[in-house]
Amino acid sequence: MITRSQILVLILNRLKSLGAELQMPALIEATEQTRLFGDKADLDSMGLVTLIADLEYDLQQNFGRTVSLVDEKAMSRLTSPFRRVDYLADYLVELLNAPKS
Amino acid sequence: MPNAIITGTSRGLGRALAEKLLHEGWNVWGFSRSPSPIKHQHYCEHLIDITDEAAVQKALSIISQSSIHIDLLVNNAGAASMNAFLLTPAKTAEALMRLNYLGTFHCLQAVGKLMVRQRHGLVINITTVAVPLVLAGEAAYVASKAAVDSLTKVTAEEFKSHGITVIGLGFGPMDTDLIKAVNKEKINQINQRINRSDGTTLNQAVDFIFEHLNKKSVTTGDLYYLGKIT
Repeated sequence: MITRSQILVLILNRLKSLGAELQMPALIEATEQTRLFGDKADLDSMGLVTLIADLEYDLQQNFGRTVSLVDEKAMSRLTSPFRRVDYLADYLVELLNAPKS
Repeated sequence: MPNAIITGTSRGLGRALAEKLLHEGWNVWGFSRSPSPIKHQHYCEHLIDITDEAAVQKALSIISQSSIHIDLLVNNAGAASMNAFLLTPAKTAEALMRLNYLGTFHCLQAVGKLMVRQRHGLVINITTVAVPLVLAGEAAYVASKAAVDSLTKVTAEEFKSHGITVIGLGFGPMDTDLIKAVNKEKINQINQRINRSDGTTLNQAVDFIFEHLNKKSVTTGDLYYLGKIT
């Protein structure tokens, strides 16, 4: 069972690295409430693409799971999992712990 | 040692390019539906159908486990079909779109994610002079390659800030299985229109690709043709 706190650590670590690379203090100090996508987001679309690519790699390296975060399931959710860090963490926990079809 | 992924390495241009890169000291990963005759210690083959998104993702996941950088992706795998539009079965159009466009889409997306993480990479999408020449009798093929050309231009814009260059390299008819069913007269007409009356050999096409391997000498999003397009 992959826990929410494990996922959260991955997301926040990636945001910190991105923040350092892009020189964006808001990302270095990211929390669960940090906005990733939308009008008031701290990331631009290119930053979000980088975060998603990095996270897919982390999930593969840490848990041996090959997943595509941008699939129809993610896009069709009422609340986009990419809107905020906490939504993304919830989505990833659900995705990774779902029974394999 | 630079690393490349090439699709369609079992024959034709993909095979010739892979052999040349290996000869020049590259590591090459080949994506192919059928086994390639290439035998080289730095050649690794994944027998996959690139229209299968999950298979492409799995292959990339295996490659990325070795923590190597992929410097080059060549989306070469493709198929053609010559037929008057009104006689072209919809299934043929669908198959060409799946292989030529969607296959390129899947590989570019999977390798693109890896290159975004690297902040570096060159993508070459193989295209054809048939698109700018608006060749009659090749509607389904031309449409699928025009889709690839659009993908080249849009992804070049999106990847620009990630240090990734995306270009298209287009060729006229070459002596490969792709055009074996096309009559010689038609081939000659196309070659004359692009000012290459002797046609294009595989070696010339490979040399043309090598001329564009240096990212400094190309402009991302551009399409380059071997031959004169007027």
